[in-house]
Amino acid sequence: MLDGILTGLSTAASPLNILMVAVGCFAGTFIGMLPGLGPISAIALMIPITYGFDPATGLILMAGVYYGAIFGGSTSSILINAPGVAGTVATAFDGYPMAKKGHAGKALAIAAYSSFSGGTIAAVFLLIAAPSLAVVSLAFQSTDYFALMVLGLTAVAAFAGRGNVLKALLMTVFGLMLSTVGTDETQGIQRFTFGTIDLIDGISFLLLAMATFALSEALMSVLKPKTEEEKIREKDANANLGSMKLSREEVREMVPVIGRSSVLGFLVGVLPGAGATIASFLAYGMEQRIAGPEKGREFGKGSVRGLAAPETANNAACSGSFVPLLTLGIPGSGTTAIMLGALISYGIQPGPRLFVENPEVFWSVIISMYLGNVILLVLNLPLIPYIARVLALPHTVLVPMILFFSLIGVYFVSFNTFDIQLMVIFAAGALVLRLLDMPMAPMLLGFILGGMMEENLRRALIINNDSWAFLWTRPLTFAILVTAALVLFVPMLSPFVKRSLARRREAAGEGG
Amino acid sequence: MLTRDRIGALIMLAFSLGYGAMIFNIPLLPFQANQAFTARTLPQALSILGVLLSLALLLKPLRGTARDDDAAWRANMKRLLTRVPGLGFPLGKVAMLCVVMVFYGLAVRPLGFLLATTLFLVTSMLILGERRHVMALSVSVGVTVFFWVLMTQFLDVYIAPLPTFIGR
Repeated sequence: MLDGILTGLSTAASPLNILMVAVGCFAGTFIGMLPGLGPISAIALMIPITYGFDPATGLILMAGVYYGAIFGGSTSSILINAPGVAGTVATAFDGYPMAKKGHAGKALAIAAYSSFSGGTIAAVFLLIAAPSLAVVSLAFQSTDYFALMVLGLTAVAAFAGRGNVLKALLMTVFGLMLSTVGTDETQGIQRFTFGTIDLIDGISFLLLAMATFALSEALMSVLKPKTEEEKIREKDANANLGSMKLSREEVREMVPVIGRSSVLGFLVGVLPGAGATIASFLAYGMEQRIAGPEKGREFGKGSVRGLAAPETANNAACSGSFVPLLTLGIPGSGTTAIMLGALISYGIQPGPRLFVENPEVFWSVIISMYLGNVILLVLNLPLIPYIARVLALPHTVLVPMILFFSLIGVYFVSFNTFDIQLMVIFAAGALVLRLLDMPMAPMLLGFILGGMMEENLRRALIINNDSWAFLWTRPLTFAILVTAALVLFVPMLSPFVKRSLARRREAAGEGG
Repeated sequence: MLTRDRIGALIMLAFSLGYGAMIFNIPLLPFQANQAFTARTLPQALSILGVLLSLALLLKPLRGTARDDDAAWRANMKRLLTRVPGLGFPLGKVAMLCVVMVFYGLAVRPLGFLLATTLFLVTSMLILGERRHVMALSVSVGVTVFFWVLMTQFLDVYIAPLPTFIGR
């Protein structure tokens, strides 16, 4: 393990990679701050740039963007009560009241310190958990992988909240259907290509991600015109942030909260399907209960604990979500799904072999998380007053820019103008589905896992002489499939769990 | 009643059925006919799943808070389809942006990157209601040129800058 850490350190600490972490954090903060644009869009927008880099650098940049986007999201939550990211909805509960009392600077500082601590503590867990899990997962066969992917897809749907499980499942199936477009990998048979050359390679995941997230999120923001009140809030936000210093008492109050929330956040992040959003709500609820009736009453009115808990947990969950991605090659959220897509297009197969074959990628990503958190703290915190001006940019200018960057990002990879037309079709379709409140993240996850799922299932059938019996005769496969079924059906059967989870998810929207 | 979820379910049902119908166009090699897993297997399973799930969503009874959610959604949709004086239909703007994007895709080759991109940015800013014309034009030209210089000079991606009729 020490070897690995050193390998990672030497890769991550190269000047180019440090620069990339910084660029990633900065760009992520910027994009995450824009209400409506989440980490998925932020990462999608960066992917075309990373194609020229080697995989380690690319992944480091994307990890930086992920952290930055979550941090940027909390900034807009605190300053204008408009979370840029679903994972920071809970941040606004106490962050915005605190800012309204004139302590915006303090709220931002608490958010930054909590994010830093949560991210760093969780990175230590990741450092321990990932290699050990990777060793175990070397024993996994294609049948187990197939089962794991089923688990990942059902878990995302199961965590979608009350009334949304069916919709999330439907969107997952939709994503899987889209993944079958193009040439069948093992047999070379064309499927659903309508006879055009442009679809022979299938739909590129970058195109789909850009169209259904960056493009359609930008178009959605046109449909939600700002109210006068919001405009005033945005102007106020830049006027005066107040002091960023914390008192000793406040620090003392924060420390145990950060400890608890980072453990909780990491564990929730590791679970497939539950991401930063659920982690932040759980941490908020847990701290409110622990704080007792007296302190608990301050929650929602600018409590230090109420701000520190979700901020710590969402960053810890981001680190946690890298565990299944790096060790099993199975993303647990829309955000890690898009990173998986990027890794595959670099020619790297994530999974247990990643640890063996590309140790520099594996370790440098983990090490870069420390760097990313340090940079967020030392670079972004002092710059926040300046970055916050982005909130005042008129959306008449901002939206065309986002449209342009999304279109050109895809066009510059393929140089095929058909892709631009296809993007518009997907964006319009995604917009209709978004207007109908259909969740988009499960669709992306289904699309990215679709190809791998079919491949593993086919291999499993070949190994087992065309018999489906492996689904119940191999204990590990069977156990994972049973877990998947339980994850899906237990919440349906127990209305109590369902009700409490749904209430928390209600305000959250789509998971990060 | 046609609720939000039911409209979504109908769309997905139609998609699943269409997808299912197109499976018959997937060619199979003769020796594959008896295999357990062919190029058609997964699509078949998916289209059946899609139909079942959308039927379930379609037939799900509407009760409790879901009813309120649906009413709120209805009101919001009504707002999107109502004309705002001086600004036009909110959905109309989005439709126009989509049209402009399609035209951008058609124009980027024949008109060259610089002209097509500047036009695209200016038009979409005007559609969104930007009144400061000089600002819109200068920002568009600035971004276009900056981006072109960045890509061609620093990232070594060749992009034809000029319209085809002028030469490149």
